[in-house]
Amino acid sequence: MNDLKKVSLIIVSVFFLILSSACSSEGTANQTKSQGSGDQITLDLWHFDPGERMEIYAEAVKRFEEKHPNVKVNVLQVPNDEYKQRVVVAMAGGNAPDVFASWGGGWLHEFVKSDQVLDLTEQDIDFDKFIDVALANAKYDEKIYGLPLGISLYTFYYNKEIFEKNGLEVPKTYDEFLNVVDVLKETGIYPIAMANQPKWPGAFYLMYFADRLGGEQVFQNALNRTGEGFDSPYYVEAGKYIQDLVKREAFNPGFNGLPYDAGSARQLMYSDQAAMMLMTGGFVNNVRQEFPAFEEKMGVFQFPAIEGGKGDPTNISGGISPTWSIKKDTKHPELTVELLNELTSLETAQDYVNRSGNVVAIKGVEVKDPYVETFTQWVNEANAIQFPYDQTLPPELAEVHKNTTFDLFGLTTTPEKAAEEMEKKAKEVIK
Amino acid sequence: MISESKLETARMEAEVKLVRKKQKKKDILVILSFMLPALFVYTIFILYPIITTFNYSLFDWNGMGERVFVGLQNYTALLSDNTFWHALKNNAYLILVSVFVQIPLGLIMALVLFSSIRGKKVLNVLFFLPYLMSTVAVGLLWIFMFDPVNGPVNKLLNFFSFESIHWLSGSNSALIAILIVMAWQFAPFYMILFKAAMVGIPEELYEAAEIDGANGTKKFFYVTLPSLMPTIVSSSILAVVGSLKTFDLFYVMTGGGSGNATEILGTYMYRQAFVNFKMGYGSTIAAMMFIIALVCAVGILFLDFKRRKKQGVA
Repeated sequence: MNDLKKVSLIIVSVFFLILSSACSSEGTANQTKSQGSGDQITLDLWHFDPGERMEIYAEAVKRFEEKHPNVKVNVLQVPNDEYKQRVVVAMAGGNAPDVFASWGGGWLHEFVKSDQVLDLTEQDIDFDKFIDVALANAKYDEKIYGLPLGISLYTFYYNKEIFEKNGLEVPKTYDEFLNVVDVLKETGIYPIAMANQPKWPGAFYLMYFADRLGGEQVFQNALNRTGEGFDSPYYVEAGKYIQDLVKREAFNPGFNGLPYDAGSARQLMYSDQAAMMLMTGGFVNNVRQEFPAFEEKMGVFQFPAIEGGKGDPTNISGGISPTWSIKKDTKHPELTVELLNELTSLETAQDYVNRSGNVVAIKGVEVKDPYVETFTQWVNEANAIQFPYDQTLPPELAEVHKNTTFDLFGLTTTPEKAAEEMEKKAKEVIK
Repeated sequence: MISESKLETARMEAEVKLVRKKQKKKDILVILSFMLPALFVYTIFILYPIITTFNYSLFDWNGMGERVFVGLQNYTALLSDNTFWHALKNNAYLILVSVFVQIPLGLIMALVLFSSIRGKKVLNVLFFLPYLMSTVAVGLLWIFMFDPVNGPVNKLLNFFSFESIHWLSGSNSALIAILIVMAWQFAPFYMILFKAAMVGIPEELYEAAEIDGANGTKKFFYVTLPSLMPTIVSSSILAVVGSLKTFDLFYVMTGGGSGNATEILGTYMYRQAFVNFKMGYGSTIAAMMFIIALVCAVGILFLDFKRRKKQGVA
């Protein structure tokens, strides 16, 4: 009997030893981290941009580290489609990075609602340097939760060589655009490249069609529940335009099964198999990294105007990307705010404009890049900038929006049904 | 005299019993102490998450904010959720393919490697290669293979003058495409199991069968197959449970698309928990997956138990 007690005592004590050591080692590690400025401090930074942009952030981080020799910033880059999930898991598990990039809008709002993001309104930040529309994209209840750096416009990229060879001009109106599609089809080139597996590339079309047909109010009314909802005739009409394009075989075959990040659609553009692609400003960045030779033949044009549509053809769609935010329970709020300031400094913004081919949300930069010049002009002339639905809407509704649009492209639903389904969910989710 | 010696033996017997009892206790303790590390890991990484999953499934929770207890509401919602049933149906297809395609394919491959053909070593490597690749790499590789325009699969179809198939974008073809890849990737796993089991079949059985006049096919059906039965049963359990739990290949290749044609329980759970911020509902799906897998595994084991009893082995 005695033996039994002894052994069980040993077992139990060993058990607790392991447990307590496991717990305490974590505790002490945290302590040393937060101790005075003499010790090494580590900050985590997550973002989703490849190529030049990644370089630019790395340089900004380096400048920050030089000012703070005792701080080390661990930068992690995760591709787009995977990034969102990565952050959600980290937030849910309480292991979120100190600084993280997002697209603002409804997605960031979800974290703000759960009290996971630091309120920046009272922090030591010069908010005047940002463009107002961009800053508003991360503002909830008059409080600012994110600092914008880039504005990524959604425009058509096209292959100038192919256009010239076929005597085509940049289409200004939708009829001209359809003519381009028909002419290109006859030559055996896929008129439009698309990789719609992640569902957002196709969603751009719905967004633009609804805007060109009914103006920016269509979405604003549906989102704010003022007036017509997501079952507005404009959305039904937009769905019809999409299915008309699909039936004309304007896109490369099997587009709904192609993942965008893997590059299948970009390859079609690079290899002259397709002539046009509606894409984010990130495409310029991709071209420079993946296939620089293509840049010579590449041109851009805005989504064409629809005759008789109520929308202003200068309206442009785009996302604020990246928007930098800080997690609420960071151990070094002052340091992370400083890191944020460096990531949105004029120097970083200038690098971004010069090298990534994108407009910035920060005033006072000098524009040299031809693409940025065009984009900046468009932004200045724009009557309104529309943010992508899937990043503006609450995540659950955003999913329905992407799924119904995907089904429109797949011809597995009708425009009426898609609009109805969307409105049904909207009534449930937006209160 | 006699009674005294009797008493003596009784006393000794009792003593022996006591020693044995002590010995037994000691044995248990030794066994337990050896098991402890594994038990520790098992509890923390398997038992605890399972229990918390069941706990979370009773809440309305977005994963970060406040938890609201809703009782079994998530379960009733799940049972009337069309997507759930659709996903379950796809999992059922997956189980069918795993059990009736992957396992037989693995068996055939193992038989080929045991036959007396030339180039066995090369075949061995070739057969096993797919299983060595990471699933994400396999998924990406096959996305390019199935590319509707430039993919080798369609090029091959065109060469034999068939029409191109838009594999991953059609709702039926997407599921078929992934099932093909699954079979390609996992058949080698069963091949290894069968190979190991075949080595263990005594040569005498074949010799005896030969003396009795059995030919090749008969030898297979009366010696090889019965001897492999335990392996087939354990393979089936692995296949069923694995099919219910699977996630990665579907996530990489279609993400549950197109539409929700390739939605399976794993991707649906993931989408609800991490995309739609419904951690409670996601946990409910996970809990259901666990229950279904458990029922299936117990069912197969029970059938096997009955089979063995019938044969008088048990």
